[in-house]
Amino acid sequence: MRDYTLFIPEYWAAAAACLIIAIEIARPSLPRPTLAYLTAIAAVIYGGFSLFYIPNDPESFMGLIQVDDFTTFFRVLGAGTVAITAMLSATHMRHRASVLGEYYGLLLVALIGLTFMAAARELLTAYIALEILSFSFYILVGYARRDVFSAEASLKYILLGGFASAVLLYGVSLVYGVSGTTFYDGIAAGLADQGGDMDLAMIAGLMLIIAGVGFKVSAAPFHMWAPDAYQGAPLPITAFLSTASKAAGFALILRLFSASFVEEGESWRWAVAGVAVLTMIVGNLVAIQQTDLKRLVAYSSIGQVGYMLVVIAAIGYGGPEIGEQASSALLLHMVGYVISTLALFTALTAYYDRTGRDSSIRGIRGMAESQPYLALIVTASLFSFAGLPFFAGFATKLFMFQASAEPELLWVIGVAIVASFISLYYYLMVIREMYLFDPEGGLQRFRVQPIMWAMATLLFVGILFVGIYPGPVFELADAAVEPLFQVGADAGS
Amino acid sequence: MVPLENFLALSGILFAIGVYGVLARRSAVLVLMGIELMLNAVALNFVAFAAYLDPGQFAGVVIAVFIITVAAAEVGLALAIIIRYFRMQATSNVDEAAALKW
Repeated sequence: MRDYTLFIPEYWAAAAACLIIAIEIARPSLPRPTLAYLTAIAAVIYGGFSLFYIPNDPESFMGLIQVDDFTTFFRVLGAGTVAITAMLSATHMRHRASVLGEYYGLLLVALIGLTFMAAARELLTAYIALEILSFSFYILVGYARRDVFSAEASLKYILLGGFASAVLLYGVSLVYGVSGTTFYDGIAAGLADQGGDMDLAMIAGLMLIIAGVGFKVSAAPFHMWAPDAYQGAPLPITAFLSTASKAAGFALILRLFSASFVEEGESWRWAVAGVAVLTMIVGNLVAIQQTDLKRLVAYSSIGQVGYMLVVIAAIGYGGPEIGEQASSALLLHMVGYVISTLALFTALTAYYDRTGRDSSIRGIRGMAESQPYLALIVTASLFSFAGLPFFAGFATKLFMFQASAEPELLWVIGVAIVASFISLYYYLMVIREMYLFDPEGGLQRFRVQPIMWAMATLLFVGILFVGIYPGPVFELADAAVEPLFQVGADAGS
Repeated sequence: MVPLENFLALSGILFAIGVYGVLARRSAVLVLMGIELMLNAVALNFVAFAAYLDPGQFAGVVIAVFIITVAAAEVGLALAIIIRYFRMQATSNVDEAAALKW
């Protein structure tokens, strides 16, 4: 059915994006942080609108875009991420660009792309959504004025991103050629007609799709853009990149694999398991030798992607039942990861804005002396990444590995646990810099802006809440994945 | 009628040339042209599949039109980013863009 009321939050986001650009043109004298606050408010309203879709049964727009609890989950998650990113940008971007309307507008446009990646049930729609998100990122990464790093990061990102898109599309064209359709359900039905055996062209197409989407979430052989883009991008965009692009990529992967390929696990699961192992090892080992904090976080987030890919492999090994449990654990882990990352970047942005340091690890030397509260929050988020008890990462990782503990995957989970220990090493190196050294250049203790303090506290509470009492978020995640496998099972039968 | 395999072989060759261009060329603009070749190979694939596998249906053709449109937008964006980089560094050689590494 053509039900145009399904996309009211997206209409709002698009209108707000245009409005913010128009406001800057009409009122150039406006204090610069105002635009950031307006963007944050717009994102919160977007999240509020999307809550109205909760009681509805899953509805789809001509089978292309599905609005169900899964979509709502990512709408709210994305809205929160955009709101916090906009708030971080308020002081950070003030002197780094002369025109900021497009910057904030693109944040909202990226939110639309993220939602449609989670909602798409057709490959072309998913591709267009993915490009909306990617194009926004290409521009945002290169937004800092007169910054060679930023320009170079953006150049590398768009060239590699275009290459990955072409690879992804070639895979889509092969899948279309074999199954005659690009609808997720249609692909599943086409595969069922062939008696469960996958065509060689289909497998090739699927591998190319895994490569293309793997690039977007920065999985290991395709991760080379991530460290450069993370390091070159302005600090709030690094936060946005490491949360939104991963959330959106995994939303797309979950939708696609749960609907189309869950029954034919034998033909692709080994590839995902291999990519997962490689991603964990590469991400965590290369992170050890980093001297730049943003780059270290980039490699650590690559490691996190490896843990999350274990769930995708578990869908292939365990089928729909295991897949459903593992997927809801993945969403829980995603929430914990997003909150921890945003907490880390809130603390770092507050610190760097005040001190004007560059993002090298030495730059935070003695942070515990000059700003103990921010140092505490950095420590908490790093512990959460490493998966220490009482922090979000511990509970979510535990659930995730427990849910995906298929016999064939036990060795992968073993590697993941070893990788977590390795990651603890380089997180402790960062924490050591903060706590065991005196601040460089005689830095005195300083106060944080109240608004940054409030955001950091909120996210800190979020880390502890997810870590100690994950029940409520877990229930939400359960509800969110419910429509996924239901639809897939219907189409397969 | 020309068999479908010919179109697929042509598109495979085009795609491979595009990949070679991306890997071998050092100028950012020429890398971009390699990406364009890859996208054109994909569009050709879609049109060929649409014509042979479900004649009368336009899904594949519509997708090809979308790919061409998105590719045009991508080139516009990429050229803008390359020009911006060129203004700062006076080069568009991707090997020299090595301020960020490891």
